[in-house]
Amino acid sequence: MTQAAALPELPEPTLTLDTSGLLCPIPIVKTAAAMKGLAVGEVVKVIATDAGIATDMPMWCRATRHEHLATFQDGARWLSYVRKRGRGVSP
Amino acid sequence: MTGRKPGKAIAMISGGLDSTLALAMVRSQGVEVKAITFYTGFCITETQRRKGGRQDGSMPQNEALRAAADLDVDVEYVDLSGQAYLDMLLHPKYGYGANANPCVDCRIFMMKKAKEIMEREGADFVFTGEVLGQRPKSQRRDTLWAIEKQSGLQGRLVRPLSARLLEPSIPELEGILDREKLGSISGRGRARQIKMANEMGLLEWPQPAGGCCFLTDENFAKKFFDVIGQQEAAGQEKRLAQADIVLLTVGRHFRLSPTTKLIVGRTEVENGVLETYAEGRALLLAAHLNGPMGLVEGEPTWEERRLAAAIIARYGKGKDEQQVEIEWRDADGSVERFAVAPEQDEARIEAIRI
Repeated sequence: MTQAAALPELPEPTLTLDTSGLLCPIPIVKTAAAMKGLAVGEVVKVIATDAGIATDMPMWCRATRHEHLATFQDGARWLSYVRKRGRGVSP
Repeated sequence: MTGRKPGKAIAMISGGLDSTLALAMVRSQGVEVKAITFYTGFCITETQRRKGGRQDGSMPQNEALRAAADLDVDVEYVDLSGQAYLDMLLHPKYGYGANANPCVDCRIFMMKKAKEIMEREGADFVFTGEVLGQRPKSQRRDTLWAIEKQSGLQGRLVRPLSARLLEPSIPELEGILDREKLGSISGRGRARQIKMANEMGLLEWPQPAGGCCFLTDENFAKKFFDVIGQQEAAGQEKRLAQADIVLLTVGRHFRLSPTTKLIVGRTEVENGVLETYAEGRALLLAAHLNGPMGLVEGEPTWEERRLAAAIIARYGKGKDEQQVEIEWRDADGSVERFAVAPEQDEARIEAIRI
């Protein structure tokens, strides 16, 4: 989990996915589905209210080889930025 | 590894020791593996998170994702938590285990989904971390076979940890898997798995904690059978919605009458869950003091409203006050405030606790 204070400049997302109110792992399930509609290199921003995303998203990215840019708390919600990469895609 | 036919497999993983070991074992034979993990709505990890973490204060991680990440295996999260799964849960062909766990039906449900994914991915077989004889019902030899047959995966469902004790599978016969390198483990002990995990260099796995499914929890089962028991007693068809399931996993539950129930949050996280699922239910809380939120299902009488309010007052900061003002937000949006004395009769509270 990246702390907000140490955030790099985050890219403008191609897609914003609001999963507020949904419990983990559903934000991950929805992120995976949304990724299918993105091109390699595009970024999805996921909004969540379940803190489980702080651990789930980095691990899911590691397993699926998408690029985890940041996940941090922003008030009562969590924001996560992921760049589409995937297996078989050069970094 | 030379001369063996290349293959692709779908691994059903929970992230526990057995499924992690099975995955490592199959992959070590040069088989391309895609992992899938199922979300049923009853997973212990998510349920513990909803309660605000474990009793020791730690927050559980998702072990299936961790295992896939550690083993560098592609993973797909499959959401099974829809109405079809709930219907299976209410009407299990093979019945329940010790609690609300219809393990055999659940496995068949999952295997059918795994078969779909196997076909979609062009894979040769599905495998699991099941161990012959490890669980009293769902992992008996006859049950393993019944699950394989009912799911339509005959010959293409491999249990690598026990494979040499079972009939050879199609991928073994086709030369995708070397049977001699598969396991012959049976029973409840885990010493052999731990030894193998160490030999294979697996670094981490969660301690076994009685399974990863909340349906095997005795307290959950009481709440589950309370709900469907009341429906049956009222001559109604058994039914559960996803919201009902989430609410069965949080809070203290009190049966106010055959048709009304109170759920009391135990933590801030649980209060948040109750607030999220308040639609169609009454939400109540102490108006000026910290304390739990409560949800009331059904149409309570005035006496039942007073009792629910008194219980909410009893579990809040005002438990020693003479009167606590309660805010009652009805399902229709109306808000009412009234004062009650916190319920001090523990025997009365326990008598209606589910």
